[in-house]
Amino acid sequence: MATLQVDRITKKFKTDVVLDEVSFEAEEGETLVIFGPSGSGKTVLLRVIAGVYEPEEGKVVLQGHDMTDVAPEHRDVGMAFQNFALFPHFSARENIASPLTALGKSDSQIEEQVLSIAKLLKIEHVLEHFPRALSNGQKQRTALARALVAAPKTVLLDDPLRNVDAKLRFEMRLELPRLLRRFGSTVLYVTQDYREAMALADRIAVLVGGKIAQFDTPESIYLRPSSIEVAKLFGEPAINILRGQVNDEANRVSVNQNQFILPKGFHNNAGSICDIGIRPESIRLFREKRAGTISLEVITITPLNERSVVLLRSQEGLELLATYPAEEKTAKIGDPFWGMVVPEDLLLFEIESGQRCLPKQN
Amino acid sequence: MFVPEIQLSLNSVDKTYYGKKIEAAVRAVKNLSLQISKGEIVALLGSSGCGKTSTLRMIAGFEDVTGGTIQLSNRDIHQLPPAKRNVAMAFEGYSLYPPLTVRDNIAFALKAERISRSESDAKVMEMAKFLEIEEILDKYPSSISAGQQQRASLARALVRKADLYLLDEPMGQLEPQLRSVLRVRLKQYLQEHQMTTVLVTHDQTEANALADRIAVMEDGELQQFESPTQLKHRPANIYVGTFIGEPPMNTFAAEVKPIGKGFQFQLEEAGEILDYQNVDFPKSLRDQLIKHRRIVLGLRPHAVKLGKGALKAQVISNQWLGDQSHIAAEFANRIVVAVSHQREAFKLDENVPFHLEASDIHFFNAENGNAIAHGLEI
Repeated sequence: MATLQVDRITKKFKTDVVLDEVSFEAEEGETLVIFGPSGSGKTVLLRVIAGVYEPEEGKVVLQGHDMTDVAPEHRDVGMAFQNFALFPHFSARENIASPLTALGKSDSQIEEQVLSIAKLLKIEHVLEHFPRALSNGQKQRTALARALVAAPKTVLLDDPLRNVDAKLRFEMRLELPRLLRRFGSTVLYVTQDYREAMALADRIAVLVGGKIAQFDTPESIYLRPSSIEVAKLFGEPAINILRGQVNDEANRVSVNQNQFILPKGFHNNAGSICDIGIRPESIRLFREKRAGTISLEVITITPLNERSVVLLRSQEGLELLATYPAEEKTAKIGDPFWGMVVPEDLLLFEIESGQRCLPKQN
Repeated sequence: MFVPEIQLSLNSVDKTYYGKKIEAAVRAVKNLSLQISKGEIVALLGSSGCGKTSTLRMIAGFEDVTGGTIQLSNRDIHQLPPAKRNVAMAFEGYSLYPPLTVRDNIAFALKAERISRSESDAKVMEMAKFLEIEEILDKYPSSISAGQQQRASLARALVRKADLYLLDEPMGQLEPQLRSVLRVRLKQYLQEHQMTTVLVTHDQTEANALADRIAVMEDGELQQFESPTQLKHRPANIYVGTFIGEPPMNTFAAEVKPIGKGFQFQLEEAGEILDYQNVDFPKSLRDQLIKHRRIVLGLRPHAVKLGKGALKAQVISNQWLGDQSHIAAEFANRIVVAVSHQREAFKLDENVPFHLEASDIHFFNAENGNAIAHGLEI
């Protein structure tokens, strides 16, 4: 039985429908990431689960109990927010202790638990400081410690790494899963960063415009996105989207006069006009012509950390963004290349609905 | 492509903020000298408090220079008010005029240029398409999102003809996907129109993507001013080495000990030893390393080659991010991060062998952090 169930939650602000029949569930100990662009309703969803907002329709079920009439403080939920929200007049120690104090624990128990988690999060040396004397990284860890200290069954983390500098954010992305696993809580983690989502999640609930667009493992979402909208949200640089036509044999798709090989299974789409999705890393570039390649010229090259991004253009005006490991190749502006797309990586989308066309095995 | 003619020159620029007491003075920019060519895109990069924003504000004229001079197109500008410098800017506090629509805000920047109404309209439209704000052209600043406001501000700065363009975290409010797309377009646009640009950012990914050269600053001082490639391959010191690049460079403090026909890097706090033969390194480099004795080894994530080798690390995380994997493992009492361009099957707690090429190692002096050599080249 799932330890957390969100069942057709609808939330409105006046006439604005911010959440529209949102449903998903999480198993005990799972880290479920709620991912979506800004304004998609992620924070509102978290607040509904916390009990801070009441939904117009639907229910939240935690550990098998319907939480509809249960106040936030009785839901056994720990929370941390992106603006840290630490009590300014409490020291870090007192901030972290606050959930335990509220539960009526003894002083010695509180002392022990606070010290234990502070050590884990490497902030025991700043416990006596007040929030204004803490760095962003220390504030973030204090907020996290406060969320976890009472070992709640459910932990809600609203973009906790957003206001933290790049280096620390990267470190926390590596450490957080290990840390969260130790507590065994079910974690709901909100982020706008797809890499963070893929790195931390057992499963991702993609929220777009108040609706769940896809709910699956990171791998499934990246390789088999349910729609163009979902495909565009994952990957950097963003996926290339081109309008093309599938040929009658359903083994090629043409964009202007350039052709790409289609994998098997798309005979239902023979002759149709579709949107094609090509991820930059799926493009293979060669210095010499090979079967199935098209002629391309380098327009710009941009380094992107461990990869290089190259904008290429065909003679017919087709533009594509491709990436390759930075340590390979030294391309220059104007260099000619022959490019092809790995057929299995090509994604086909219906024009009207934006839904991905599923290949059929026959 | 830029003509090597100096457009902007900062000469020993200093900025001190004075408080009520003498001890409260803060020296935010220390003796900064930079020469920027016409058409060049330069990024001022560093963590908060490094002096990059103070520098930009001095170039704009919003702050006085405490010492030194600034020249633009061969004339002194450091004592001129902002409006007389012929500089276009997109700054956080420099927002759109509330009573004008977005369209009129952008067009206002063109009023000083004697061009026809239709030409002005066309330029505004071109800029709006490029920054994807056509839909909000007829809206007022108060009714658009922070991201849209930022793009409108950027449009207003770029649409003008100016000697210099100053951008302060130009895409800070935008979502990752949009940033990615606009970065490529912005770079293309600035290059095509040969616009000399100075931008401030704390995001090294952005600096790397946009800039011809990056000025890395820390604590008011210039650390290094070179192309992204140079900064990556030949960082001047540990600070630059670990600031540039994501995931960041792995570092190991070590002691160099000559042993027989080779030598060892004894990694501090770890008991791990890297053995090398004398022939692995050129003599001049060997001599330098032995002379310094206490050094720091720097290894970029892609240089940690997992799968085979004499060294062993224990996997603590294996994260697949679609186009690459980030694998973190414990080695020599610290976390080492490796990048692979495919999915890797390594499991948690698995002991994985790995190796390093001498040509991938960056060597730094442990005393002052300065670079000794990169790979086998001093």
